[in-house]
Amino acid sequence: MTPILARVETRMANELQEVVVEAGSEHSPIFRNLKRALPHVPFTVVEDPKASWASLAGAHDPMGSGKKRLFLVRHRGEFLKKCPGSEGQVCCNYFVVNFASNCPMECSYCYLQEYLANNPALKVFSNMGDLMAEADRLFSRQRRFFFRIGTGEITDSLALDPYTGFCAEVIPFFAAQPNALLELKTKTDRVEGLLGLSPKGRVVVSWSMNPPRVIDDEEHLTASFERRLAAARRCQEAGYRLGFHFDPMIEYPGWEADYREAVERIFATIDHRRVAWVSLGVLRSTPGLKRIMRQRFPSTRLLAGEHVSCADGKMRYFQPLRVSMYRKMLIWIRAAAPAVFVYLCMESKEVWQQVFGFAPSCEKELGNQMLARE
Amino acid sequence: MDATSSINDIIVGYAKEKGFHQQTLERWLNLAEADREAILGLAQGLKPSENHLRDFLDWLDEISLRDGLSPRDVLSSEPLVRIFSDPRLSRSDKLKRIKEEVRRLRFPRLSRIEDAIQQTVRDMGLSSRIQVIIPPGLEGGTVTVQLKSASYEELKRLVVELGRASETDRARRLFELLRGDG
Ligand code: SF4
Repeated sequence: MTPILARVETRMANELQEVVVEAGSEHSPIFRNLKRALPHVPFTVVEDPKASWASLAGAHDPMGSGKKRLFLVRHRGEFLKKCPGSEGQVCCNYFVVNFASNCPMECSYCYLQEYLANNPALKVFSNMGDLMAEADRLFSRQRRFFFRIGTGEITDSLALDPYTGFCAEVIPFFAAQPNALLELKTKTDRVEGLLGLSPKGRVVVSWSMNPPRVIDDEEHLTASFERRLAAARRCQEAGYRLGFHFDPMIEYPGWEADYREAVERIFATIDHRRVAWVSLGVLRSTPGLKRIMRQRFPSTRLLAGEHVSCADGKMRYFQPLRVSMYRKMLIWIRAAAPAVFVYLCMESKEVWQQVFGFAPSCEKELGNQMLARE
Repeated sequence: MDATSSINDIIVGYAKEKGFHQQTLERWLNLAEADREAILGLAQGLKPSENHLRDFLDWLDEISLRDGLSPRDVLSSEPLVRIFSDPRLSRSDKLKRIKEEVRRLRFPRLSRIEDAIQQTVRDMGLSSRIQVIIPPGLEGGTVTVQLKSASYEELKRLVVELGRASETDRARRLFELLRGDG
């Protein structure tokens, strides 16, 4: 397979070749927004979109090809799911809502390359009304439970927002919920659609952050560090609470200086009192993902980290190394933002213990600790 | 027939004979010619299973990404050549030792900590009936201590010995190393 890096610079993230619409979805607000935002892109209405996305399987690079055509389809089944977490790891009691599948950007380490390998079509779901009705039923049924909901599990929350207008559709709904908090997780600076809305404390916009060097080398087609930070600042000024995810943290010669500087720059720009949480997580992979990375990004140095197999089947930097990475980050974050809530993503109790000196006894405890910062 | 195609033919023939998967064969054939040949020498000399060969392919590729050393550079380095040509070692011992060496190059810091832990355990001077088992890849951060006893008296003696050893700085150091505080 031709390495993707040879082509990636010349391919724009939003260089969509076509929007394929499932018959019936033409009446949705998302269709209207897409039509308005993409006047130069041909739209085709089809009865059965599955046939079109099945053809991706035979493409030279199914994942790369999948990102060039957008499918607007009805979502069948439930929108809201409990975050699967990872076996044996401390979980933060999170729900995910999948309003789209796949992502137009190209991070070399992206787990979707393996997770969506058999279904790599870039899809947006048209039945937002069903999503909100389902969420409403869930929230009203369990009023004493506080729901943290994320939209960035199998897509980037904001990458398609300028075209779909998803946020403008759902933020007013979440802003009115007494027992739910929506997290929009992104590597973009596409926040225009958020700025005129009133989140009423119910929406956290969070950025996955890495030092500029990692962004340049591994997070292709994403916004630069500066642009992410500027977008975060605009969101904060517009009344949103923020989150930052140093995930995946990458270890390389000189990583300490780069990450320390990244932490300092963030908290020199952002008011840390308005930061809901910061998470830390090291690069994770699987043998299958490594195989795909080797084909699609053969020169990525991420493959050469000192990773070992962990109890949940994922590969991470060996434990003493990653514990020392987390501890250093914690010191730099505490120095810049003493009161900010920091947690580890997909780590075992032993690692929590070694980093923080305690481990949450259960997922509810961690979820509650995060919400106690409200 | 040119030299390249004859090497490729030998590799294809070897992989077929061993029943290797197409994916493994393709990775091998996609290497630069000198590397392909070096792996062929390793395969013919040590007869590794497909899983072992895949580990070699992964590790050598990853060393080359990180350190800029080609698989041939690594396989022709002095310590590996010495093991390879040592007449006192059996083929399976050679395979084991060479794999350990390549792993050491692939995971230099992990290996260093593992070595320091093993050294610390040795320095504790425990009798052979007490075994301190380190988790693979140091994952989990816990050691398993195993006592083997054939009698009540022996068990008591081993427990006292272990108790004494656990009071020493070496025992403390063991856990510091496991935590990454070394
Ligand atoms: S932004 Fe996220 S979803 Fe998109 S390619 Fe990168 S890791 Fe994958």
